[in-house]
Amino acid sequence: MSSRQPLPTVTPFFADKQERLSEILARYPEYGRRSALMPLLWEVQRAERHVSEARVEEIAEILGLHATEVKGVMSFYGTYHEHPVGRYHLQVCRTLSCSLAGADTLADFLEDELDLVNGETDPEGRFSLQYVECLGSCGTAPVLQVNDTYFERVSRSRCRALLDAMRRDTLPEPTLERGGDNEPNAPDQEGGAA
Amino acid sequence: MSDTASSAPKPITSRFDPRFEPTLYAHVGVPGSHTLSYYRSHGGYEAASKALGLEPKAVVDEVKASGLRGRGGAGFPTGVKWSFMPPVDGRQRFIVCNADESEPGSFKDRYLLEDDPHQLIEGMLIAGWAIQATIGVVYVRGEYYHAYGRLAAAIDEARAAGILGRGVLGSEFDFDLILHRGAGAYICGEETALMNSFEGLRANPRLKPPFPAQAGVYGLPSTINNVESFCAAVHIVARGAAWHAAMGTDDSKGMKLYQVSGPVARPGVYEVPMGATFRELIMELAGGPSEPAKAIIPGGSSTPLLPWSDATLDLPMDYGTMAKHRSMLGTGGVIVIPERKCIVDAYYNVVRFYAHESCGKCTPCREGIATWLPKMYQKLLAGQGTHEDLALMEDMVKHMRGTAFCPLADACAMPVQASFEHFRHEYEHLVDQGESLYPRRREWAA
Repeated sequence: MSSRQPLPTVTPFFADKQERLSEILARYPEYGRRSALMPLLWEVQRAERHVSEARVEEIAEILGLHATEVKGVMSFYGTYHEHPVGRYHLQVCRTLSCSLAGADTLADFLEDELDLVNGETDPEGRFSLQYVECLGSCGTAPVLQVNDTYFERVSRSRCRALLDAMRRDTLPEPTLERGGDNEPNAPDQEGGAA
Repeated sequence: MSDTASSAPKPITSRFDPRFEPTLYAHVGVPGSHTLSYYRSHGGYEAASKALGLEPKAVVDEVKASGLRGRGGAGFPTGVKWSFMPPVDGRQRFIVCNADESEPGSFKDRYLLEDDPHQLIEGMLIAGWAIQATIGVVYVRGEYYHAYGRLAAAIDEARAAGILGRGVLGSEFDFDLILHRGAGAYICGEETALMNSFEGLRANPRLKPPFPAQAGVYGLPSTINNVESFCAAVHIVARGAAWHAAMGTDDSKGMKLYQVSGPVARPGVYEVPMGATFRELIMELAGGPSEPAKAIIPGGSSTPLLPWSDATLDLPMDYGTMAKHRSMLGTGGVIVIPERKCIVDAYYNVVRFYAHESCGKCTPCREGIATWLPKMYQKLLAGQGTHEDLALMEDMVKHMRGTAFCPLADACAMPVQASFEHFRHEYEHLVDQGESLYPRRREWAA
């Protein structure tokens, strides 16, 4: 080998996921291939907790786009991350109804407990914190979204218990709360994502 | 087809009217309600079968006669919107569901999606037949991951049962759904921004005309409705337009999912006939405020607030009454604002939301809402505001009205104007005293 450094190679994300890739592309009509952009970003982010430059280029190539076009779409949305978020990505809604239910205090509490500010990930990669806007949980405020799961009516004690659980690398089942007309008599202990 | 002649019985405008029964929300919160077997055992897909036996135009006419108005916020008559589709000409046609619920104070669609996904599928199938669209698109906001999973499972069940796919429900009609997940952008609730987002573009709104019926998804004829509107169509077909039109007031027919948040005893979603009063919703159903209240936001944060009073509580919650009081019914997302919340702080929160969600396309919104207005609020709340600042803010919001490309600028400007109109003394107190009349609270349930 010469003294030239070999270019770093990155195994394409979809190299061993061709079936999944085909399934995503097949959801959309032939003339609407570009619609697969957001699902492909989601697919990468779900596995890698961010979408790196290399993945952006890979997605661009799959869809026949320029990387800047993919980047342009990605940066439009608040939930695609350029840098890795933690294994537990904590998203706090601070919009009006949650704010009225104490979300600003909840946000301060999380900053103190985790020693993080909005947008940061801790050095261990366990926790990251993001302030987000209305999550549609106004009747069960305040809400804390951990990765893809909502935890609702998060009181101080519930929040502590949740943090303790995550520090032990367990995520409790969410209590699916409804309020209003359809508050189950006993809290529905059914799991989160189907 | 029916009309509501003057000889018709008194319309149903209260949930306590014995003739009223919940339909849209009857199964939310019931274990297992998201499954096809549960849905079918409660009459599911009978309305779709009935619709498929009618001429498409007859379905459109039925929805027109029902008086249903779009439940996403704008209140445009649903049947009229369906009739805007051009004649069938061989091009692909789309029916699109806006499940990008993100107006602060709104959370009804989430529960429908999570607990009754088949109701939405049936509504979209009916609408698809009515406008002769063979592909439906459901655009679900990215954060509604649980709802997305429930819908994906329901779509799989429906395909396996011949409810979606070729020759649905034994008919000659082909219909299938594409489920698409957003990624956290309020602007995608604007119909043309949603279509751009679906196409894999940045979600900037498009110039109208052309309207979606002429050039929607992929530039092809499309009709877009809210989750609740589709669900309402199921019951209109099942029970008839006259049943729907027997509920509500002159300009607002049928049932509606109202939401209550803020400090009340039992916040949540309540299904109520249109034209019910705030009093019925807030005091009787939601148990009343848990502390003294001073304002009501009637339909999501973009709708101008109304002062808390007996007169306001007695207003019927319908499109016309809200317009007459210079507000809007919006999504029916009622937020109760307590006395002890500084209104300037509350509206800084609202402005911050719209600032975050402005797409940056047009100057009044980008410069006014995303840049200057939050800074002005910060200056006020820091106790450094002047009366000139207040005048400047009022002038700014006036110039944001109707000058931007899409309604987001109005959605921010209108409620700010109303907060000045009804609570000017709180703004002035901050300027004169350098501190809020109601200091920020650091309360949070133990």
